[in-house]
Amino acid sequence: MRTSVIKAYMQKEFKDLVRTKMIYLVYLLPTMILLLFGYGIRLEVTGARTIIIDQDQSRFSKELIDKCTHSKYFNTKVLLISPNEGLHRIKQAKTDILLIIPPHFEHDLLHGQKSELAAFIDGAFPLRATTMQGYVEGVILHAAKELAQRFGLKHPLITLNHRALFNQAMRDENAIVPGLIGLIMLVAPALLSALLIVKEKEMGTIFNFYASPVKKSEFLIAKLTPVFLLHSINIFILFLWATWWFGVPFRGSFGLYWITSELYLLISLSIGLLVSIITNRQIVAVVLTLIITIIPGFLYSGMLMPISSMVGESYIEAHIFPVMYYNHIVYDTFLIGQGLESMKNILYLAILAGYGTLLLIVGSLLLKKELG
Amino acid sequence: MALLEVDSVHIAYKRTIAVKEASFTADAGQIVGFIGADGAGKSSLFHAIAGVLHFRGEIRYKGYPYHSPKEAEPIKPYIGLMPQGLGLVLYPQLSVEEHLEFFANIRDIPRDKAFMKYKKKLLHMAGLAEFPDRLAKNLSGGMKQKLSLICTLIHKPKLLILDEPTTGVDPLSRQELWEILDQNRKEERSLTLFSTAYMGEAAKMDKIHLMDEGEIIAQGTAGELIKSARPYTYQATRCKECITFNGRTYSLKPLSAPHAEPTLESLFFINALKKGKIPPPVEVLPRETPIDIPEVVMEAKGLTKRFGDFVADDHIDMQLRRGEILGLLGANGAGKTTFIKMLLGLYPIDEGELYLLGRKIQSPKDRQELKRYIGYMSQNFALYKDLTIRENLFYFANMHQLPLNKASERIERLAKSLGFWDYMDSFPKDVPMGINQRFSLAAAILHEPVVLFLDEPTSGVDTIARAQFWQLLHKLKHIWGISILVTTHYMSEAQYCDRVVVLRRGKKIADASPKELERRFGTKDFEEVFLRLYEEQE
Repeated sequence: MRTSVIKAYMQKEFKDLVRTKMIYLVYLLPTMILLLFGYGIRLEVTGARTIIIDQDQSRFSKELIDKCTHSKYFNTKVLLISPNEGLHRIKQAKTDILLIIPPHFEHDLLHGQKSELAAFIDGAFPLRATTMQGYVEGVILHAAKELAQRFGLKHPLITLNHRALFNQAMRDENAIVPGLIGLIMLVAPALLSALLIVKEKEMGTIFNFYASPVKKSEFLIAKLTPVFLLHSINIFILFLWATWWFGVPFRGSFGLYWITSELYLLISLSIGLLVSIITNRQIVAVVLTLIITIIPGFLYSGMLMPISSMVGESYIEAHIFPVMYYNHIVYDTFLIGQGLESMKNILYLAILAGYGTLLLIVGSLLLKKELG
Repeated sequence: MALLEVDSVHIAYKRTIAVKEASFTADAGQIVGFIGADGAGKSSLFHAIAGVLHFRGEIRYKGYPYHSPKEAEPIKPYIGLMPQGLGLVLYPQLSVEEHLEFFANIRDIPRDKAFMKYKKKLLHMAGLAEFPDRLAKNLSGGMKQKLSLICTLIHKPKLLILDEPTTGVDPLSRQELWEILDQNRKEERSLTLFSTAYMGEAAKMDKIHLMDEGEIIAQGTAGELIKSARPYTYQATRCKECITFNGRTYSLKPLSAPHAEPTLESLFFINALKKGKIPPPVEVLPRETPIDIPEVVMEAKGLTKRFGDFVADDHIDMQLRRGEILGLLGANGAGKTTFIKMLLGLYPIDEGELYLLGRKIQSPKDRQELKRYIGYMSQNFALYKDLTIRENLFYFANMHQLPLNKASERIERLAKSLGFWDYMDSFPKDVPMGINQRFSLAAAILHEPVVLFLDEPTSGVDTIARAQFWQLLHKLKHIWGISILVTTHYMSEAQYCDRVVVLRRGKKIADASPKELERRFGTKDFEEVFLRLYEEQE
């Protein structure tokens, strides 16, 4: 292996990346995905548009309304409209929740009689609807509890079948952003390494490699090292976005995060290498890389659904893709901080190292120095 | 012992055979030519010799045998390959100087005084010494090829493999490329393998191989080859089992007609005769619709097209008259295709006026109404490769809103008269280029237009199909009385046109009949005519 040859190829690669302005893509794409998805995925609901029709106009009803207006989860308007008009607004998607306080609400409560509140929730998005339902139930129960204490009653005045959906402590950012790093570091380096090789195939400059004494190993090192170096910087950039911009806590060891990420980067660029072996056109390489990285990177990241709750095929599939192992360690370093004390982390780190080495070996064996 | 010995090399891709048992030897200091159409197997053979393609058989370089790309690895330091395609091995974003550095680096050449001197000399020979910092993407086609060549020469290869380095390159650059090669042959004593589609270049080669359908059909010096063709070449006459083209008749049986002097092209006709592959005659039947066209079919006044700072066509004036074949000639990037695309409205016109069939073109509506009078055949034949030839033709008939019964009648008539009836249910990729070319023409004339625009219809097609195609165009002109505008980069095809317009870097540099040009420059060789025309411009 001759370093001068590798250096020449790498220099060319860097010049090309800068002059074609592809370098912007290397650094803008990961940040863009992080910002878009980081804000785009919302499991928690805040500021649900709520209309309360207060047909009672009593002290109790006012207290209940107060509870809502003071919560960040509701964006409350008290209107004097008919229930039908309120329902119409849900239909028009102008409001999410309609709460109707019936006449004699206070009277009924004070006389120990059963009272019924009507709550209508826009169920177009089931997940959002259940969350909002939880909020409404939570607020009402809270109010009922207070009232009960005030009156020294043993039994709450309002009964509700309630489930603990009240998501107070969990922040969305903490749940989503570390998982996004696993997605981005799988997509972006694979894309770049596939493009760097397929570009030469499509343009015809690959002949410079095929017809010269440049060795396969030299070519591979020259092609993959720039991707590795450029994207290593993204490991830090993404870390900064997560902690500084999204305010995700970091409780583990930075060293572990860094090393794991570099191993993961190696896996990603090997995926790009494999794609470049079977494709001859840049556009095909891009589409193929995106499909085989984004889908598992998203589905099996543990971001939307914990791997432990998967069963059957999906459980097996999740274990085939590298993203699960990486995300486990990344979530640990950000949110938990067990680090290498956890055996699972050590095992997963070893799996990642093996995974990367295997892909790289397969890739370099499949790369042929001749026309396909 | 010869420097290079190629022994029964056979190359196949899945189902198709690219090269059949090719054998030849070549010595140091020679320029050895390979002439043939696209698909004749030249590139595949070159790729095998350069060690980038799998093959069967044996190749020996200085007695060292290899049978696969892997075994060829040890000889790669001595090989220089320049694959087919303008500037194919260049990186658009690297400068001239950076290219030479890169190519020297990947060959691990020490940076001593001798290297610097050689590099300077190469730059000077290629005429690139003045712009070392220009990026490859900003070089003209000719400059790209010269840069590719000196990049291939930088490590002083002993075996230089050049795949169609001059195709589509302007005549001056071609001459300069040849000068570099000549000098390299003298000083480095290297062996150069050179493929080309231009017969005119054969005279400069020490030995020529004619290739057709994967076979080397003849080899020898230009003189020897022409001599071998003499017994079969006669002055034009009528006879059975022979081929007549361009004033010559080829026959294996003796004829009573006097002999004529053959050219290298003659060998392809004779080969077809020997293999019993006499091309079916092509006929043009009278048109069904009456024709009524003005004296001037197309007139362009100062037509201009710009792409950013680049002026693709610079104030071009041109007239296409009734019943005329007008040849639009020029190298790659001269502005031929851009011009035709402006005529068709595929590109908006930046400046100038265009009259089609006596009508000034101002709005898309004008064009829409004229579409049924215009036939167009695009570069590389715009066919749907997943449709059979029949389906393709019906599709085009539909586009021109021909009633179904009329369409099927016309398609059958054309397919039979143009000699591709047997291929109607084949896919375009499975038939010879010449068939694709004729059925593309059929698609373009299905609606019986009065003017025909053909963009590079003969590019890459073999000699016989090309000859037939020109005969066809002339018949079309005479029987249908239509006007035809043809673009080509084969300068020698000028002789088949009634008038030629030559473009150079977007400017018109000549507009005359071939006879006038011959008289003006005192030569019948159009390669020579165009070289002189270009030189006048410098």
